[in-house]
Amino acid sequence: MTDSVAIHLRPRTLWISRAQRRGTAGILAVLLLWQISVWIIDLPPYFYPAPRDVLAAFGELIRNGILIEYLADSSWRYAVSVGTGLSLGIIFGLLIGLSGFWSRLLGSIIRFFYAIVEVAWIPLLVIWIGYGFPTILIAISYVVFFPVLYNTLTGVQTIQPVLINAVRTLGASRFQVLTSVILPAALPNIMTGLRVGAGFAFRGLIFAEMIAAGSGLGFLIFDGASTRQTDRVVVGMIMMGLLWLLMDRLLLRPIERATIERWGLVRAQGGES
Amino acid sequence: MNTAALTGGTPKISIRDMTLVHVNEERRQSNVAVENLTLDIMENEFLCVVGPSGCGKSTLLSAIAGFMQPQTGTVTMNGERITKPGADRGVVFQEYALLPWKTVLDNVALGLKFRGVPRADREAKAMEYIAMARLTEAAKKYPHELSGGMRQRAAVARTLANTPEIMMMDEPFAAVDAQTRLSLQEELLRVWNDNPITVLFITHSVEEAVFLADRVAVLTPGPGKLREIVEIDIPRNARHWDTITSDPEFIALRDRVMALVRDQNG
Ligand SMILES: Nc1ncnc2c1ncn2[C@@H]1O[C@H](COP(=O)(O)OP(=O)(O)O)[C@@H](O)[C@H]1O
Ligand SMILES: [Mg+2]
Repeated sequence: MTDSVAIHLRPRTLWISRAQRRGTAGILAVLLLWQISVWIIDLPPYFYPAPRDVLAAFGELIRNGILIEYLADSSWRYAVSVGTGLSLGIIFGLLIGLSGFWSRLLGSIIRFFYAIVEVAWIPLLVIWIGYGFPTILIAISYVVFFPVLYNTLTGVQTIQPVLINAVRTLGASRFQVLTSVILPAALPNIMTGLRVGAGFAFRGLIFAEMIAAGSGLGFLIFDGASTRQTDRVVVGMIMMGLLWLLMDRLLLRPIERATIERWGLVRAQGGES
Repeated sequence: MNTAALTGGTPKISIRDMTLVHVNEERRQSNVAVENLTLDIMENEFLCVVGPSGCGKSTLLSAIAGFMQPQTGTVTMNGERITKPGADRGVVFQEYALLPWKTVLDNVALGLKFRGVPRADREAKAMEYIAMARLTEAAKKYPHELSGGMRQRAAVARTLANTPEIMMMDEPFAAVDAQTRLSLQEELLRVWNDNPITVLFITHSVEEAVFLADRVAVLTPGPGKLREIVEIDIPRNARHWDTITSDPEFIALRDRVMALVRDQNG
C-alpha cells in the first residue's frame, strides 16, 4: 500500500473495505495477466501451466485428499515449531535481559549460534536424527528463537524504570512485577520478533519439508518439480501465500489489535503484512 | 487543625543524619545528592519539600520509598528501618506511571490485586476512589485516552486505594497546564481532608508548597541539606486559589519561603 499515509486519516471501517476491494482487484489483475501471458508465450502446460491447469490440479489434489493432508501436516509442524521457538525466545530474552549473570553466561554463545543459519543445520540434523518431525521442529524453532530473543531483550531493556518502581510501591512481588509490567511492556517487541521469526520460519518450513519430509507443502512443491507436475508446484506456491495471509489475518493482526494497539503502545499500522 | 496535632504528634518517618549517594558503577562515579539530612514527617501532616532543581528532592523520596539505601544515617518508618519498597509507602510520580495496558479501573485496583483481594471487592473499592477523583466516566478508558490532569488524578486514586501509611508525590503537577494545576491542587486538598494521611509533597514551586502544606521544608542546592522548616498556619478552609492570593498571611509566608529558596541561589 503505497498510499497508506492518506488512508490513515480515514475511519477504520471504511479503510478496511477499501483495502479489501483493492486487494481483490489486485488478485484479479494478476490472474488476468497470467492468462494473457500463457496465450502469448504458448508453451506446453508441464512447462508453463495456465490458471485452468492449476485449478484442475487443485481440484484433483482436493479430491484425493492429498492437499488437505499436506496442509494439515505443514500447519501442525509449523504451529508446534513456532510455539516452541517463541516460548524459548521469550524465556531466554527475559533471563538475559533481567539478569547480569545469565547475560554474561549466555550472551556470546547465543550470538555465535545466531550467525549459523538454520539451513546449515538441516543436513547435519538429518544425519543425527533422520528425516521427519524432530528435525523440522529443531530447525524451525531455531529460526524463530533468535528474532524473538533479541526483540524480547530490547523490550526488556527499554522498559521505563518508573513503571517498575510504581508497581513495587503498590506491593508487587518480583513475579508480579514480571507479569504486570515486564511482559506487557515487552509485548510490542515480542510481537515484532514473532512476526520476523514467523516469516523466516515459514520459508524454513518449506525448505525443510523439501529435504526432510515425505509430506507437506514443501514436499508437494519438491515432488511436483521432480515429476514435472508443474501445476502441482504452482498449487503449492499459491497455498503458501494463502496460508501466510490467513495467519496474518486470523492470528497476528488480531493479537496486535487486542493488545498493543488498544493500549496505545503503537499507532495502528498501515496495510503492510 | 493539623498543625495543632503536630506539636504533640509522633513522627511517621524519621530521617537522621542521612547521606544519599548515587553510584554509577559503569563510569565509576559517585554523586552526593543529599548530605546529613535530619527531618521528621509527622503522622497525618502535609509536608512539602521545596528546593531548586537537582538539590536532591527526588533522591530523598527514593530513600523513603526504599528504592535506595542511605550511605550513612538512617531512615525509619514507625521506628523500623526502611530496606525495600512496600505497599505502606505509596508514590505518585510526575510521569503518572500508570500502566498503559490497563484501564483506569484496573490501574486503581492494582495494589489490591497484588494483595489477592477478589475481583468484585477490589473493583468496588477502586470505583469509590475513582469517584472521589471524579473519574467515574473514565473508569473503562486507557491512560492514553485521558488528559494529563485526569491521568494524575487516576495516579492519586491508585495510590490512595491501596491505603498506604504515607503518600509521597514527586512534582506531580509539574507536567500539566497552569489552569489544570490550580484545580488539581484544590482537588488534592479536598481528597486529603476526607482521607487524612501522611503526605510528603515534593515541588520546586514555592506557591504550590505554601498553598498545600502544614509545613514546608526548604532544602539547600545540591547536595541537599535542610535549610529551614516553615510552619504554614493558614486555616484549611482558607485554602482556595480565588481568595488566598490576597490573604496577607499567605503572601508573607510565600515571600519568606521564597527568600529562603533564593537566598542560597544568589
Ligand atoms: N540515577 C542517578 N545517577 C546519578 N546521579 C543522579 C541520579 N539521579 C539523580 N542524580 C543526581 O543527584 C542530584 C539530585 O538529583 P534529584 O534528586 O533528582 O534532584 P531534584 O529531584 O531535586 O531535582 C543531581 O545532581 C542529579 O544529577
Ligand atoms: Mg526531581
